Amino acid sequence: MTRLLREHPSIDVELDSDGELVAFRWNGRRERIEVCNRWRVEEGWWSQPIARDYFKVAGGSWLALLYLDRVDGTWHLERLYD
Amino acid sequence: MTTPPPNVESALATLRERWGGAAPRWGGEVVGALAVAPRRIPVLDPDDLPGVPGLPATPNDRAIPTGFRALDSILGLGGLPRAATTALHGDGTSGKTTLALQAAAQAQAAGGIVAYLDLARSLDPVEAVARGIQLDWLVVLTPGSLEQALAMAAMLLQDRTVDLLLLDLQSRPLDGSGVSAATLAERFGRLAALARRAGVQLLVLEPPNLPSALAGALTQVAALRLELSRRAWIRLGRDVVGQLTQVRVARDRFGPPGRAAQLRILYAEGGLRDGCLTRSELLRENGSEPMGRLGIVGGPGFARPTVVARPGEVALAGDGLRARVALAGDGSRARVALGGVAPPGGSRPSALPSTTRSSPPLHLTAISVPDHATPSSSLAPPSPPPGSGQSFRAIRGGADRSGRQALDGRPSAGREPPGARTRGPARDAARGGP
Amino acid sequence: MPLGAAHRLAPEALFLDPDPAADAAAMKAALDRLAGFSPGVVAEEDVARPGFGRVEVQLDGLERLWGPEPLMVSRIGEALAGILPGPPLAGIGGTRFAAAVASTRASPAGSGVGSGSASGSASGAVALQVVEPGADAAFLAPLPAALLSRDPEVRARLDRFGLRVIGQVAELPRSAVVARFGPEGERLHARARGEETDPFRPRRATERLVLALPIDPPVTDVEGLRFVLHRLAAAFGDQLEARGAATARARLTLELDRSFSAGDVPPSVVIDQPLPEPTSEGLAIERLLIARLEATPPRAPVARIELELRDVAPAAGTQLSLFTPQTGRTGRLGWQLARLGLRFGEDRVGWMELEDTEAALAEARWTWRRVPSLVDCAPDPGHAAASGAAHAPGRTLGPAHAPGPGRRAASTGPHGPGP
Repeated sequence: MTRLLREHPSIDVELDSDGELVAFRWNGRRERIEVCNRWRVEEGWWSQPIARDYFKVAGGSWLALLYLDRVDGTWHLERLYD
Repeated sequence: MTTPPPNVESALATLRERWGGAAPRWGGEVVGALAVAPRRIPVLDPDDLPGVPGLPATPNDRAIPTGFRALDSILGLGGLPRAATTALHGDGTSGKTTLALQAAAQAQAAGGIVAYLDLARSLDPVEAVARGIQLDWLVVLTPGSLEQALAMAAMLLQDRTVDLLLLDLQSRPLDGSGVSAATLAERFGRLAALARRAGVQLLVLEPPNLPSALAGALTQVAALRLELSRRAWIRLGRDVVGQLTQVRVARDRFGPPGRAAQLRILYAEGGLRDGCLTRSELLRENGSEPMGRLGIVGGPGFARPTVVARPGEVALAGDGLRARVALAGDGSRARVALGGVAPPGGSRPSALPSTTRSSPPLHLTAISVPDHATPSSSLAPPSPPPGSGQSFRAIRGGADRSGRQALDGRPSAGREPPGARTRGPARDAARGGP
Repeated sequence: MPLGAAHRLAPEALFLDPDPAADAAAMKAALDRLAGFSPGVVAEEDVARPGFGRVEVQLDGLERLWGPEPLMVSRIGEALAGILPGPPLAGIGGTRFAAAVASTRASPAGSGVGSGSASGSASGAVALQVVEPGADAAFLAPLPAALLSRDPEVRARLDRFGLRVIGQVAELPRSAVVARFGPEGERLHARARGEETDPFRPRRATERLVLALPIDPPVTDVEGLRFVLHRLAAAFGDQLEARGAATARARLTLELDRSFSAGDVPPSVVIDQPLPEPTSEGLAIERLLIARLEATPPRAPVARIELELRDVAPAAGTQLSLFTPQTGRTGRLGWQLARLGLRFGEDRVGWMELEDTEAALAEARWTWRRVPSLVDCAPDPGHAAASGAAHAPGRTLGPAHAPGPGRRAASTGPHGPGP
């Protein structure tokens, strides 16, 4: 079961030298993660474009779904697997 | 390293021209993952499959089954007690939400109406339905604070219009409350007593680090307290598709405490993939083991054959590699075409690059795709994880209408310089929800 | 009878020229005044018809507002004083027929309260004959059988069969009466036995039921309003149940006492509240409106409260699904969720509904379904409140049924006799 965080809270991420996700920070906690799946979603290019790069990440405490909002460059947390 | 034959060289050149750095390379490097789906979906184990409430156990007058037979067998009443409070304690990935929703589905199947106090505003209805929840009989309340949640719950209990009340405490339950933890704890105690008198089942999702007053109140009123902890991930290839969770009975007013059971939870997405996950031979459990490498079925050096999907059902995904799987005559081998839609008759995969002999055993990732996959933007080669010399990229192909595409390996191509750094949020994005 | 004959009979009588227009106006005024006592009023308003002058008032549940029946009638009499040319004669019975007959038996000399007393005494300014509940048949038994019907042919036949009093008709088997009088015999027999034959259907607008009460001194807290609202809602509930009707909408108007209020307090507050489902339960209506008031209390003391029920229609039943055990509880759940929504905010209660489960974005895969009947309560300086949510057709529970036995009063004006 995943928790779908409806407000998609903003998060801080850490990228390595190759630009790959290695950690993210949320709710005052930092979690080192590995990416186990990723995909892109693009919609609404004709009106209100939505472009997100999704990353399913696994860490010691969390299995989460993050995304990079390619429109404004922000990172968000969408799901926690519980 | 051997030199590729001319026809392969030519094919690779074509792919490089089209896909750039994402094109497969010859010899010893990851060329992608083969997506397969089982030919037949076997009988589902209710303990594993999302969306199927536990079949063998049946509700009785005193308890509702959890949907996990292994867990029900160690509980004093054979399930979660009716007219009593149950606390599920565990951290963010312990599986307590899955367990709670599975139990709620059981309650509904027994004719009950469930109210979900979604303090964390995180209920996913798609997955709830995949777990067997009937949304028509799931009332969702989104209180602004724990104080408000308790008031709402009290009103529900007074009228006895629901049978199960799920209270999902967020990780910081005091946020937004105008009263002290002690007051909240006292109100919570009264709520539990009200539930008992009303004959309503109260199920509380207890996060770690609950304020001590609240935690104490919960400990006091809970007739059943289960502690959940994740033991291992369940992986399908590199992807994490489930987890093994240990449930320990910390307290059971109706039976002996201390017993434990292991639950095998597969995450539900409500789509075709849920059925694919039952292929146990494709799943493996691991804690923190390094990821294995991936190869293409049928290629030289590939360790074992694999049943493939029906034609057109599955798309390959890899580093710039897209193809359609064609069913081989004996069903034991995939014929793969490179770089696009499979030509009639397919082409033998003999030209595919292979992994080196010293590579570790290959693993497969199952990706279910309802529609044809279309080539999309180019992909950058993946970065190998430390130590393995290999890397992995799995792409979820999708129908055109969904807009999903293969992922550009660079998070924001051309916009961010490389190097480890911390990226902060540009702004909060409030999306979705009521 | 001709005027000359009347003169011979009563030489001392004063004979007035009829004034149909004045009579009709007086009747209308009387009915308007009576509407303030009961939402159920029936009268023949055509001066040319034989029944003109008889008014029937439904009293079910009104004792909570106006006191015991004799006191109610007394207050009605006071209200009608000056409108009607003379004191009315009133009868209270369990059926319309019994009440009408009782009213003809009331006499200014004294009141008759009992099963067979023909004496009457004034209750206030109104002569009143009360038939005890359940004693209608006993009251009617000794009375002439000719009262059972206006039809001269039926009266003649009753006489031919030797049926002189109503009790004799009541003692006969129903089949025997029907065999000799046809379908009319069924009505005769039922009337004689104290059974209702003509359901009470007020001729005045049935779409709206309105009751109002002044509050003196004005109340400032919701608890005080609850006390008054409870009486109004309960009275309505009895009325609706007696008629087999249900309402789908309630409108509460609070007139405010702004004498000591600062700021721009409106003169009244109007709450237009669709109900989760048509109902005749006064308590459910009350609780919902109180939840609304608790969410948005009035800003000044309330000096008058008016409760109006709209969209009143016969209650209907619904076939419940056999295989969905939760279905039978949706009505009650709907009410409770409406109260929760009113109390905590309508955006905090609802259901989730799946839309496009294949949508790429998670937020596009589902949507919220709000509780119907939750609208915003906005103080209205005028009379109309904004109604934000469309009223969803509710499901009704409970079988359709004919109006049950109730208590009614039939009062006659000075112009006409009873049935």
